[in-house]
Amino acid sequence: MALRLKLEEISYSYPLPGRQEAAALDEVSIEVAPGDIFCVAGANGSGKSTLAQVCAGLLAPTSGRVLYGEESVYERGDLRGFRRKTGLLFQSPEDQLFADSVRKDIAFGPRNHGLRGEQLTEAVEKAAELVGLSLEKLGDRSPFSLSEGEKRRAALAGVLALRPEVLLLDEPFIGLDYEGREHLKKALSRYREDAGASIIVVTHELSDIWPLATRFTIIDVGKVRRFEERADLLSGDVDINALGMKLPQWGILARELLASGISLEDPADPRVLAKAIAAHREANRGR
Amino acid sequence: MAGAAERSKLQILVEELRFEYPGASAEALSGIDLEFQQGMLYALLGRNGSGKSTLARCMNGVLAPGSGRVMACGLDTSCEAGRRAVPATVSMVFQNPDTQMVASTVEEEVAFGPENLGLEPDVIRRRVDDALGLVGISDLARRQPLRLSQGQKQLVAIAGALAMEPTFLLSDESTSMLDYSARTRVLELFEKLRGMGIGVVHVTHFLEEAALADEVIVLDAGTVIARGTPAGILTDPSRVRSMGLDPLAVTVVAYELGKLGHSVPEILDVKELLAWLYA
Repeated sequence: MALRLKLEEISYSYPLPGRQEAAALDEVSIEVAPGDIFCVAGANGSGKSTLAQVCAGLLAPTSGRVLYGEESVYERGDLRGFRRKTGLLFQSPEDQLFADSVRKDIAFGPRNHGLRGEQLTEAVEKAAELVGLSLEKLGDRSPFSLSEGEKRRAALAGVLALRPEVLLLDEPFIGLDYEGREHLKKALSRYREDAGASIIVVTHELSDIWPLATRFTIIDVGKVRRFEERADLLSGDVDINALGMKLPQWGILARELLASGISLEDPADPRVLAKAIAAHREANRGR
Repeated sequence: MAGAAERSKLQILVEELRFEYPGASAEALSGIDLEFQQGMLYALLGRNGSGKSTLARCMNGVLAPGSGRVMACGLDTSCEAGRRAVPATVSMVFQNPDTQMVASTVEEEVAFGPENLGLEPDVIRRRVDDALGLVGISDLARRQPLRLSQGQKQLVAIAGALAMEPTFLLSDESTSMLDYSARTRVLELFEKLRGMGIGVVHVTHFLEEAALADEVIVLDAGTVIARGTPAGILTDPSRVRSMGLDPLAVTVVAYELGKLGHSVPEILDVKELLAWLYA
């Protein structure tokens, strides 16, 4: 079971030789609870990938603290131990597949962590099942012969086989078609339930994460704009476009309905939206 | 017949096109017949592996047809001479701008294509200035491409393609890595190019982008499974899903409204749905 991950006033500057340092993160504070699917959204160059690396224990912040439970992971903490509890799926992870079979690729991480024999087989099978890849059909195939969607799921299985408590994904939906994205979303939901893990998804595109995320935050040139609930993103006083982002069509529709005084119990459910619209139209006609 | 010959220079004709990658278990393209006109914006859709990128590569002569024919602006890509000449008139931009940058300044980057055409220096200079102006990035001319944002890099790549003064621009998911502001700029540019008479063929997974096109073409397993206007192809969510695509939210809501006894006209965006609601 995951612990609470807390970033306290994290700043990070990339060193640029002979120039003023460029701040990628500027006093960012976020808190991710176990079981959260936490969306960090931001435009290109907003610092969101840097944030993911800090959360994964891969990049020590210039200032501020990262707490996992009670432990400050970059100061006196057990950084190696923390890294073993986190898993990061990089952008275009299929570029990192390398083994000569899907099974071996998924097994690479847990084997490095010392798993052998039945334990290893079990870890690989469980991970493949979570991402919906059939090892019977695909296990002995070269990862390079898979479709794009299958490759991405194989790469995710390689990360999940390590059973991370905190799973980070950097732009996981880019380049995948509808079915690939749907499979990936199911895999994330299944893993969250199965492992009680915290999942952090970094993205510039809100449409896929919209129905899935339990909490949202937007990062804008290194600074975090705090929006916690989906509904917070729909209130009229937030200009998402000015932050280089766009609400998905679901959100634009829900926001317009809310602005017209139509209440919605779940702004991400098409049936709820349709019922609310139908009721409103009937009421208008009755007038 | 001169008229027909002139017209053929302004279109891409794809006839019975088949293509198979060496060692592949199935054809990537199995019998494609299409025509593309200049001054039109096309959206090319389909699941991963459906043949979209292969078709685009056949259209600008990167790949030779296995069988069938591609006549790109009057050039036959079956022969090597034709294939070599095509990129000067059918240019292409790709998903990841990082993989397309070769020069140390933006203007050198944009000049790369025209230089390869062996043009005079003053012609190259004019083409580079025109392309940068058209894309709206003249201020970036002296910058280093690798120091730019993703969105700016993609605009540089597009300027490089436009410096060829093409009749067609092919975009292979050129917007997928871009954020909203950069994507909006690219899509506005596509509309501007269409207005200038350039044909734009945009490969995308985003139906909101496809909704802007004059014509939508959907591929599946190397064949064309649907072709028509966005309203004709994209408004039925179950059909859209069956083609491996993610239906637009408003079309799903319209479908649910239909089940509740409300007949909604063919709509593709929120404004149209709201107009219906308050009509």
